Amino acid sequence: MIKYTISVILLTLAACMVQQFLPAISGLHGARVLILPLVFLCAAVSVDFATMLLLAFICGFLWDAQHALGPHGGDPEVYTNPVESLRFGYSIILYALMGLLMQGIQPLFRKGKWHISSLLAGIAIFLYLFAEYLLINFVRGDFVFPPTAFYRIYLTSALTMLFSPLIFWLIFQLASACHHTIRYDGLKSKARYLD
Amino acid sequence: MKPQNLIALLLFIMGAIWALTRSEQSVRGIQKTVYRAISPFITGGSGLETTASEFIKEVEHSKQWEVKYNLAKEELDKKRIEVAYLRKLELENARLNQALKFQQEAPFHVLASKIIRRQPSTWWQTVTINRGEQQGVGVQLPVLSPEGLVGKVDAPSVNTSTVILLTDENCQVSAKVDGTPEVGILSGQRGQTGDTPSLRLRFLSKDAKIKPGMLVFTTGRGGLFPADILLGTIESFESGPLSGDALVKPAVDFAALHTVFVKIPNSPESSR
Repeated sequence: MIKYTISVILLTLAACMVQQFLPAISGLHGARVLILPLVFLCAAVSVDFATMLLLAFICGFLWDAQHALGPHGGDPEVYTNPVESLRFGYSIILYALMGLLMQGIQPLFRKGKWHISSLLAGIAIFLYLFAEYLLINFVRGDFVFPPTAFYRIYLTSALTMLFSPLIFWLIFQLASACHHTIRYDGLKSKARYLD
Repeated sequence: MKPQNLIALLLFIMGAIWALTRSEQSVRGIQKTVYRAISPFITGGSGLETTASEFIKEVEHSKQWEVKYNLAKEELDKKRIEVAYLRKLELENARLNQALKFQQEAPFHVLASKIIRRQPSTWWQTVTINRGEQQGVGVQLPVLSPEGLVGKVDAPSVNTSTVILLTDENCQVSAKVDGTPEVGILSGQRGQTGDTPSLRLRFLSKDAKIKPGMLVFTTGRGGLFPADILLGTIESFESGPLSGDALVKPAVDFAALHTVFVKIPNSPESSR
């Protein structure tokens, strides 16, 4: 178990590095493959609650460390209405919420229905980006939701979801290499979930 | 809930509160550390991209000539900015001499930088350049191109820096409309995508005599950007109940931007 947990953390860090090489596609409204959130979501469904929270903290922390903007600066008499930015650390909470969503369908995943988790990973990324955009509107005021913002959210989540089978395959390979079995014993006694 | 899960949840909440309550200074410290760790990957990625594009271009130019051409182009762009500023200085000098109120003007130093990563985050309009604190790049320094203002440095690390572009809502610039007394605040618009997003110039007079095609420059007020840097041209003007807003087409083609110039502060030696 510990070997698998360490491997998943290393995979997450590797995804953080790979994310640096994935550009926004200007022809698709600036959509991109969000490999770090995807690795987190795929990993979140295969680990226990405590490890999921640890991964959420690592991913959210690294994400904000790369993307948090500084204060506006300048003379406050001239720039009387500075634009607020999201606070460092907000992504940690959003990642944890996405992780909780994935943990909800963990029994299905452990029964081998990875494709439902794959679909939910796309939905979770859509919700994550939507929540992030709503937060930006909340802190900056003036609710603005142009169609381009929706296209960016939708295309990013769809593009990212396409890569989820690859990440799940990687996670199964890691589990196999670490002699870790991804299973859910609770299902043996009572089948409360969809088959 | 299992006891270990409860402990994990409590630890997570404590960690999240710790992160959310970090001061601006410590966030900057964290960002610097992270950028120091990932900068070899960013530079490596940019190197790969450059190699790939050079390989494609090699059909037309030899690699050696390509390097020489890029260097010469960079130098030419840099000189253009310097000459434009020197011309303004020359005029100012003549005017000040005439008024017998001569005051020494500081030289205009720029540092050529290459864009190594475009729009790394989902919502912010930013780029990463290959110059950092080691080369004298500091926070909030203006970033220019021969066409006009590009943005300002947001987070410098050792060898790379994040530049927030003029097209971002967070990059506000005190601007004036040429040929009018109108002064306002120019910034990007939220949720815009595409290669040529419009800028919004706010807090103008509601009855301002502004026509499409008029030029917009920096005022130099606010302590962030030097005066008389071209920002764009007026596309349209809308009069509101209290103030007027104008849409501005940026002077810089952000999609075609490869080399930018950071206006670095004058060192004590150079100002002597």
